[in-house]
Amino acid sequence: MNGEVRDLAGDASAEGLEEFRLLFDQLRGLPGAVRADELMLFETALMEIANNTVEHGRPRGRVHWHLVLRVDSDRIDATLSDDGEEIELPPDAPMPDPAELATSGRGLPLARALLDDLSLTRRDDRNIWRLTRRYSEE
Amino acid sequence: MELTQSSLTETVTLLACDGRLNMISAPKLKSAIAGAVSDGSVRIIVDLGGVQFIDSSGLGALVAGLKASRQAGGDLRIAAKTEQVLSVLKLTNLDRILRPYPNVSDATREW
Repeated sequence: MNGEVRDLAGDASAEGLEEFRLLFDQLRGLPGAVRADELMLFETALMEIANNTVEHGRPRGRVHWHLVLRVDSDRIDATLSDDGEEIELPPDAPMPDPAELATSGRGLPLARALLDDLSLTRRDDRNIWRLTRRYSEE
Repeated sequence: MELTQSSLTETVTLLACDGRLNMISAPKLKSAIAGAVSDGSVRIIVDLGGVQFIDSSGLGALVAGLKASRQAGGDLRIAAKTEQVLSVLKLTNLDRILRPYPNVSDATREW
């Protein structure tokens, strides 16, 4: 699959997360060579970032986002921007030690583990997340 | 996510999840586990066989359930088979404390 692009705008909310799921379901249903395993791993990473926006975006319940997703033959890229208040990317935290039985703190480490590049910038009053995953060898 | 609860014995409860265990549905699972444990069913099996997608909130609900059941003198086991769930458990190292059994029958062994 080369250069399959999807563009979606909406509320950073539970309903918005469902729209993202439907978008990935559409991509999975496309005829052609989309790598189902790679799409699944990328969806996992993107959903963690989206969850973060729903949970921490301010003003609460009034943040709107815009997703641009591009699926190529060797990589998937996404830009997820929102009009919420400025957020800062927390410093690289390691994956929590499972023995400590932490019930949170795995979202961003999980996204980082699944992506080759993850960045957050602030421009034109928007938070802009950029995500890239290059396909592993089959 | 659909959640079906059944009692296998007086102290073993099965919670079968179907759908996506995510930020939206995780509180439902967490609450069901807490309810079962407080009712005296301290050994919990969560069947994730019908879960196509889990996120870190879903993992948090499982870990909270594991803590609650252990604090009550029991334990929590999971059955999982889908690729996404197994991948996420491995990437987060949670497969070390929540070893995925291939099915409910194996998870109930010796319980």
